[in-house]
Formats: sequence, structure tokens, C-alpha cells
Amino acid sequence: MSTEDLVDSESVVVDCDLDAPPEKVWRALTQPELMAAWLAEGDIKPQVGHRFELTSEIGPVECEVLTADPKRELRLSWRERDEAGELVDSEVTFVLTPTIDGGTRLRLVHDGFMHAGFLVMAIGRIVPRKPVRRLEWVLAWAA
Amino acid sequence: MTAEADLFRTLADPTRRAVFERLGEGEMTVSDLRQGFSVSQPAISQHLAALKAAGLVSERRAGRNAFYRLRPEGLTPLAGWVDRYRAFWPERIGKLKDLLKDMDQ
Repeated sequence: MSTEDLVDSESVVVDCDLDAPPEKVWRALTQPELMAAWLAEGDIKPQVGHRFELTSEIGPVECEVLTADPKRELRLSWRERDEAGELVDSEVTFVLTPTIDGGTRLRLVHDGFMHAGFLVMAIGRIVPRKPVRRLEWVLAWAA
Repeated sequence: MTAEADLFRTLADPTRRAVFERLGEGEMTVSDLRQGFSVSQPAISQHLAALKAAGLVSERRAGRNAFYRLRPEGLTPLAGWVDRYRAFWPERIGKLKDLLKDMDQ
């Protein structure tokens, strides 16, 4: 099995269809008052290099905008602290694709601290825990 | 330092991660491991020491040779991180869908 296969099928990925055009989804992702309603409070701006802090229930997350391609791709660095105050760095990417029925296909990928495919491969294949079912990793959500 | 942050830091180095991945093939000596890497043997040894300190690799000595192998259980804390976000993101996407319904065009 190639590494590419693993990245595509076994990352920390959410694929879903949204019943709204990319323009509207983009606003929900990049306007602070809208983002607060679904993700967390924070002074986000779709501007590369902009830094802000998210106040979420998983604790404060320091973010920086790495990519802001309107209506197409938003990529954020995602830096959190664990229970002991140690920094853990990762990245979250939102990719928006218009669908033929006027909606949006959203792909969310959370990785970056290392190759996500590697991480999941390592956990799934090496760590003795219950077998990982592929479908568990790609959570398709009916619109 | 917590196990989780320690592991993230240890595996953030691409060469070290490649060494770790290579050990997935089985137990090896440093010179076995060095094949296919363009870095020096002392550099490989340093990566092995870091992996050992993080609990990801164990060392067995036999005569003058040292053999290295993966400690799969060393990765367990990372599974917790993945599980957390596997629960977090779908729940948030559910809220995003609710928001999109309520938003004006």
C-alpha cells in the first residue's frame, strides 16, 4: 500500500456536502461572528499571516492564517497546549469545491505536525488496539 | 513534559520519522539502518537516542552489536490526540450546517 493511499483514505479527515454555495460557506469560515456560532470565538481574518486566538472548549488555540484563497481554501496553523502546558502544533485545512446542485463539498484535514497518513498508519498498524476500520476515518455526512 | 507533546516533538523531524518508519521492517543495527539514508552513522545514532528517550524504540545488546526495534506501545498517547479530533470536528461540522441554514444568502 502506498503512502499516498494512506493519506487520502486514513487521515484525520472529514468530508461532507453542505447545502450552501462556497461563497456562503467561506463567510461562515472567515467572519468572526459567524465562526463563533459553529467553531469558536476568535478574531479571524482571511488574510495570510494574520494571527488570532480561538477560545474553544478544548482550550485556547493559537492560529495563524497560512492560506486564504477565497471560496476555495483556508489553511490555519493550530497551536494548542496540552494539560502540562506543552505546545502541540498542527494544521487545519478547509477545501471548498462547488457541487453541481449549487452546494459545497467541504474537505477538512487536520494534520501538519507530521504526515497525517504516517500517524494514522502508525497507530492503526503498529499500536495494538482495536482494528481501525477505514470508514471510521472518513466521516461522510449526509446533507 | 507530557508524553503527547514529547512524541509530537520527537516525530516532527522528518529524518527521525523515516528512521522510525524503517524500523517497522524489523529489528536492525545502526549500520543496517544507515542503508538508504544520506546522513552519517552518528546522526542516525542521535535520532535513535531521541526515539529511545521518547519510548518509541528499544535497544538490545548482543556482544558488540546493538539492535534496535520499535516499541509500538510508545505511540499510544498520539491515539488520544487523534480520537479527540475525530470527535471534535464532526460535531463542529454539524453546527456549521445548522449555521448555514440560519444565515441569509
